[in-house]
Amino acid sequence: MDYIYSILTLTGITMIGVMGTFMVTGLTGQFSFGQAAFMAVGGYVSAMLTLKFNLPFPVVALVGSAAAMLTGLLVGLPTVRLRRDYISLVTFGFGEAIISVLNNSAQLTGGAEGLVGIPKRVDLALVAASVACCLFLVACYKNSKYGRQCLALRTDELAARSMGIDVNRLKLVTFLFASAITGYAGALYAFYAQYLEPGYFNWTVSAEWLIIVFVGGINSLTGAMVSAVILTSLPELLRFASAWRILIYCIIVLLIINFRPNGIFGDWEINRLWKKSKPVKGEKA
Amino acid sequence: MLQNIFFGLSLGAVYSLIAVGFALVFNILKFSNFSHGGVMSFTAYAGYFAYIWLFNGRIEGILMFVAVVFTAAVVGAITAVAIERVGFRRLRRNQSPVIYYFISSITLGILLENIITIFASSNFYSYPVFFSSKNIELFGTSFSVADFVTLIFSAVALAALLFVLYRTKLGLGIRTVSFDVNTASLMGIDANRVVMATFAMSGALGGISGVFLGMNYSLYPQLGQLVVKGFVASVIGGLGNITGAVIGALLLGIVEVGLIGMVGSGLMPAFVFVIMLVFLLVRPQGIAGKIVQEKA
Amino acid sequence: MNASSSLGLLQAAGLCKAFGGVKAVEDFSFEAKPGEIVGIIGPNGAGKTTAFNLVTGVYTPDSGSVVLDGVELAGWRQDSIAREGIGRTFQNIRLFKGLSVLENVMTASDPYASYNFFSAILSMPGKRAADRQAAEKAREYLNLVGLSGMEDARPESLPYGLQRKLELARALAIRPKVILLDEPAAGLNPSEVREFIDLVKRLHERFNFTIVFIEHRMEVVMNLSHKLFVMSFGKLLASGEPEEVRRNPEVIEAYIGEEE
Repeated sequence: MDYIYSILTLTGITMIGVMGTFMVTGLTGQFSFGQAAFMAVGGYVSAMLTLKFNLPFPVVALVGSAAAMLTGLLVGLPTVRLRRDYISLVTFGFGEAIISVLNNSAQLTGGAEGLVGIPKRVDLALVAASVACCLFLVACYKNSKYGRQCLALRTDELAARSMGIDVNRLKLVTFLFASAITGYAGALYAFYAQYLEPGYFNWTVSAEWLIIVFVGGINSLTGAMVSAVILTSLPELLRFASAWRILIYCIIVLLIINFRPNGIFGDWEINRLWKKSKPVKGEKA
Repeated sequence: MLQNIFFGLSLGAVYSLIAVGFALVFNILKFSNFSHGGVMSFTAYAGYFAYIWLFNGRIEGILMFVAVVFTAAVVGAITAVAIERVGFRRLRRNQSPVIYYFISSITLGILLENIITIFASSNFYSYPVFFSSKNIELFGTSFSVADFVTLIFSAVALAALLFVLYRTKLGLGIRTVSFDVNTASLMGIDANRVVMATFAMSGALGGISGVFLGMNYSLYPQLGQLVVKGFVASVIGGLGNITGAVIGALLLGIVEVGLIGMVGSGLMPAFVFVIMLVFLLVRPQGIAGKIVQEKA
Repeated sequence: MNASSSLGLLQAAGLCKAFGGVKAVEDFSFEAKPGEIVGIIGPNGAGKTTAFNLVTGVYTPDSGSVVLDGVELAGWRQDSIAREGIGRTFQNIRLFKGLSVLENVMTASDPYASYNFFSAILSMPGKRAADRQAAEKAREYLNLVGLSGMEDARPESLPYGLQRKLELARALAIRPKVILLDEPAAGLNPSEVREFIDLVKRLHERFNFTIVFIEHRMEVVMNLSHKLFVMSFGKLLASGEPEEVRRNPEVIEAYIGEEE
């Protein structure tokens, strides 16, 4: 039972991380290759604040998210005005940088041995509630003018600009929002696992999130969430070794990318179930 | 001082092989090929196993080294061509958006890394010392033979590449396709063949750099993640610009060697990141380049 | 929303743009008075679309000025120029494929939507009201161009002619004082062309904005424009009333020269 409980909790935390990736990659079409580094920032900042000043979880979680957002500003500001390739390179470098800083500031962060002694403040109920809240915020964002403009700039940046959309600003806002949410996932993780080590946040985690978003379909938040649940919990339950699990992911992704490029869910969202649905003319299945 | 600069140049030479391998594919398909790291890991191991299974006891010294590098280059070329077939051929045919190339290249990079993890990570492998005499005396300073060989090999590989790019028909094809793939096809150039050749060249460079990395560090599946140095060099030099990539890589090598003396190697990725950020803020087009605009 | 006829004065003067060594546009000037319909014609490769791209800020002019109602726009960012009141359509249709027909139009009016980030992520009543209004307005525009009933369709699934109309509706939604149409009738069949001419006339009557268009089809050019500017090799070759331009020997030569 404990085992299942822990899988569910970690799946929930992954879902929140995936939401961040979904926003950056799914909505604005930029490649965040260091999203897990924002999780590291959120996790470490909140954990260290509690260890040093004994602050309560809600406060440190908020500060942790804000710190992740600030680092997001550092990365986003110089890159949003450049070609999309740059953001992947910069976020990749950023991820490496954060890990090297964490590894090399042993007095503060415990270095490679990890940060221990974090009190347990997070349980499954809190994670579930957090998933619901974050999902609500992200879904509302997607469903607002921001989300629409993001999708517009993703498909055609030039046309988006000529409709008066401030593309750089919008990319930055989305990137910051995503950083904050991912930072919050980090805080949840820290106070659930009670232990942090830099290696947990390396680029393969970011890449895994990207893969999850992609398998679900980059246009569908529902798809991203479903695929997060399946791809995180199923292999755990079946007790696959992690390298084999990733191998299988990769093969799935390669199949999808070649044969079903819109992912499993296409752009289907769950709210279509209760929206009055008119048959859509000429839409491809 | 001289010694350090030399060391930096040799490090930079390896980075330039990575950066150029990366830039070649960027040039032609206009996306950042993250699978390049996977190719590097893979070939580093391939070179090692070629040494164990094929050459050990038969040849030695510089000859052995050449044989290992050559094998790795060939394996790299084959791997890269396979990657192109599996990961990008169909995407090009479907004219998929850049985002799919990205995902595909990341996936292939991770795939290669995990194949190595599954089959080889349980053992510790390390390249033998190819060059017994450690140093050469020159201008009153001593230089390590390994650095010397690295520098020469990289220079030869790059020269060969430039020769192919600028003096052969294939090179002309590559440059034409990188300018505009559609027009090139209209001119009767077989784009598939050119793209394949580009991947082969990029993979060969990746193979050579893989061996050098394997010699400098020990062998581990994530070795290829040093491809980030190639990215940084490309950004500094100008994305997709071959000369820029070389200049950026050499600069990066020298700066790194200087920084190791001051801050140690642990924090290096952080400093490299800051350097890249500063470059993006001050001169986003890179040293050599003009900004590559996304196709309007 | 109805621009008064005193607004929409677009003056471009001395525009220059070179790509590498190629001078795509060289000292090109044109003027469109408020409410006027102005055509820009010229052989292929004359630099017409580049001129549009200079006016709308896709490229920054090497020199020259673009003035809208007394405000200098050269050097402005593309999105600021659009919000200042210059809307456009594209020669090779550029709709937002990830969005529905309705959302395509809404997106163009979104930069004017008044709600902020926090009411967006919390889906506050103000946000929902604003979105409802935007959807309403977008439906109106779609109705005007004859696309009602297709709000939920995917733009890429529409026939070509309707895609052109959707681009027009989207350009309307930014509430332009000046609207630039880049070969709006390209790819339309003869009956669609006539319909299109009527549509543009109708929209012009209703909104009274200034229209500048690039076109090759003489039927469109002669039917719509009050004034013509002829470009050749990046330069202004001639300008004036349509009939007068049509008789201009230099213009005739430029066109015949092209056919060789």
